[in-house]
Amino acid sequence: MKITMIPAKRLASAAGVSLVLALPSQVYAHYIPAEGEPTQVHGTVMTTWRSASPVDQYEFWQIPGAFMGGDAWPVSQGVSLDEVSVTAAKRLDENTFVKLGVSTHDGSDGHQSVGIEHASIGFVCCDVKGPWVVDVGRMSAAFSPELLAHRSTSKFTEPSLIADVFFGRHFHDQGIRIWLHETAGWSAGAEIWQGKAFPATDGTDGGAWDAFARYSFSVGSVEANIGAWHYRAQASSRADHRYGGGHQHTPVAAPGEQAVQFPDVRYTCDLDLTGVHAGASVGVGKSARVGIKGAWAQLNMEGILHDSGSREADVTADQYAVWVQPYLTLNKHTIALRAERFVADNTLTGAAAETLGEGAGALSEEGHTPERFTAAWLYQWRPQVQFRTEYISDQTFADGQNRYAVGVVWQGSFFNSVSSD
Amino acid sequence: MFAVFRINVTGLFALVAAALFLSGCQTESQTFVDDAGARESAFDWRVPASVPLPYEPDDNPMTEEKFQLGRHLFYDARLSVNGEISCSSCHEQARAFSDGVQHPLGATGEVHPRNSQSLTNAAYFNNLTWGNPALATIEQQVMLPLFGESPIEHGINESNFEQVLMSIQADETYLRLYAAAFPEQEEPLLGELAWDNSVKAIASFVRGMTSFDSAFDRGEMSESAKRGEALFNSERLECFHCHDGYNFSDATIDRGVTFLEPLFHNTGLYNIDGMGAYPDPNTGRHEVTGNPDHMGQFRTPSLRNVAVTAPYNHDGSVATLEDVIRNYAAGGRVIASGENAGDGRISPYKDGVLVSFQITDAEVSDLVAFLESLTDDAFLTDPRFSNPWRAD
Repeated sequence: MKITMIPAKRLASAAGVSLVLALPSQVYAHYIPAEGEPTQVHGTVMTTWRSASPVDQYEFWQIPGAFMGGDAWPVSQGVSLDEVSVTAAKRLDENTFVKLGVSTHDGSDGHQSVGIEHASIGFVCCDVKGPWVVDVGRMSAAFSPELLAHRSTSKFTEPSLIADVFFGRHFHDQGIRIWLHETAGWSAGAEIWQGKAFPATDGTDGGAWDAFARYSFSVGSVEANIGAWHYRAQASSRADHRYGGGHQHTPVAAPGEQAVQFPDVRYTCDLDLTGVHAGASVGVGKSARVGIKGAWAQLNMEGILHDSGSREADVTADQYAVWVQPYLTLNKHTIALRAERFVADNTLTGAAAETLGEGAGALSEEGHTPERFTAAWLYQWRPQVQFRTEYISDQTFADGQNRYAVGVVWQGSFFNSVSSD
Repeated sequence: MFAVFRINVTGLFALVAAALFLSGCQTESQTFVDDAGARESAFDWRVPASVPLPYEPDDNPMTEEKFQLGRHLFYDARLSVNGEISCSSCHEQARAFSDGVQHPLGATGEVHPRNSQSLTNAAYFNNLTWGNPALATIEQQVMLPLFGESPIEHGINESNFEQVLMSIQADETYLRLYAAAFPEQEEPLLGELAWDNSVKAIASFVRGMTSFDSAFDRGEMSESAKRGEALFNSERLECFHCHDGYNFSDATIDRGVTFLEPLFHNTGLYNIDGMGAYPDPNTGRHEVTGNPDHMGQFRTPSLRNVAVTAPYNHDGSVATLEDVIRNYAAGGRVIASGENAGDGRISPYKDGVLVSFQITDAEVSDLVAFLESLTDDAFLTDPRFSNPWRAD
């Protein structure tokens, strides 16, 4: 009996054609271009039609009990361009490599902005592939697979509740990472962040750090991985930048529609997030693979809610979110299910607790716990093109909603230049 | 092979289960809210749940008995030097407790330089009167019209206060009302205590004048009013920056607010010397502080019931809401001739948020319709706030 430790790149390729799409983003997020390898320029386009949005046009998407922000915009009804990204990576010399990446981010009223996700330089120590690596610059976090996966690489068109509720969907920040990179199945390290990524803030009273470890192994046709992480952040007057955080005004509503001004409640707090994740899959015959993945994250927060009108309330929160995702891949088809649950245990204290809690969306709905169930069918039409259909039973609000989605994803390399080095 | 896999997978789920257990997981979402007594009061404030309660002074907590005593005093002309005026002389219920004239007259005929303010939701202001940052309580404010000498309003002073008090003491209705309002006192209508109690009672009545039942509150606005609301909240007009919140004033304080810096604004109404001066004695906050930078600064009035409180601005010098809007649209007021001639648009003390904007006649009508939707008709006719002597 032989247990083999497998790097992420091989893990992806070993999983068969259905994981072709899963490879590039993971590769470009944290993979190290090899010496002599041509410059890689990779692109992604993902577009989806959805039957409904979880909120109306002039409503704010605040899952009851959650402290949301970042780029966690609600999905839109109709056709939306969920993601466009271009990422490049180049090995400069024996010990140095660089990455650049830009991607669209959702915005208000269906508008999107383009942001720099990666602009980093890496240093490989001790061998051409590590094991020790130092990354410096703007980059996505490595501590949780939840954060390095774009929607285009997930089996689902909507991000997980863990990503949306706890991290505002994306995590890209300036920082430094020191880590043991995919050595004997292990990756482990620590990251220090400036604090520009939700849920932290930057400045003297902000910032964040994390530590993580994960382990991948295979036994015959069985492949498995497990990991854990801890993230700690400080936030000072953190706004929900989706709707607030700057100059406030009431949206201009269409005739006959009502729009209200966003309350712009701020958080000044210390928060700890702890998570574990695991997955296992087994090959069945030559063309099928069945697996299950799951993640759990716990938030502990203590601080104050406040607004521009000198209202304050103390807040403590113990929250967790969990998802479990079984899936079956057969030839070019994948069927995946995802069950998610978000549980908040919040305590707000102070004369303004009710007002601020309501404005921040921090109040749970009486007798209701947010849940969401998703069933997806993915068809790998071409090696770089995938079609998706999805059914979502969204119970994050007490008056739940069923919606449907149909989409297509293209991912591939624009070109592989021959290295001039 | 499978034995190893089983061990590893078993270990994996055991780890997850252990983590969930160790987290002390709550299985259902809940939010516990402790408002530290913010909704507790011995008084029925009659405000909707969405509106926070106002502060009550520690030395004058609200009671229905004090409110009713204050109501009687508010409408009683005996509380003046010559029995000519009461508080209600300048604060009529049908006009949201303003008086409809540019400058009110005191008991002795002296003209007040300021326009009578509406008392709507006075409990929610962090400072009272138009421009005095030192007047933080209604109790302090009540003293001014009763005992003030510049200008003389009620005209009560050291030479006549005993006579005024005797007229009150002689009324059995008051003996009953004072006893009910101050049950812990043996002689609540005697000596200096009587004046202290009277001020507290009048303040309680004024503090209890809450108004949150307009068409806007009920969501029953006309289409024109809805368009006006959108204009009001637009970046073009910027009205909402000063007239914000549930009371439409940035000078609003309630139990949820820990501290509110007194806010005053110069709206470019005057510029009589080309350097931003306002005509004496109406120089606003500057009149109290003497600070040149405070020239022409006045507290933002609430817009609730504003449609029935004409004329407008601190000196009642603007006749209609349409004119108020057009002054803002111009970025200030230009007075072409007369002793107050000047271009308020270029006042160096004008608030930075006041910039000119273009607005059509139809949009002015919509904006006025929105302001009219803030009228609480029930408040204007509620017997609870009416003259009790007339009922008696």
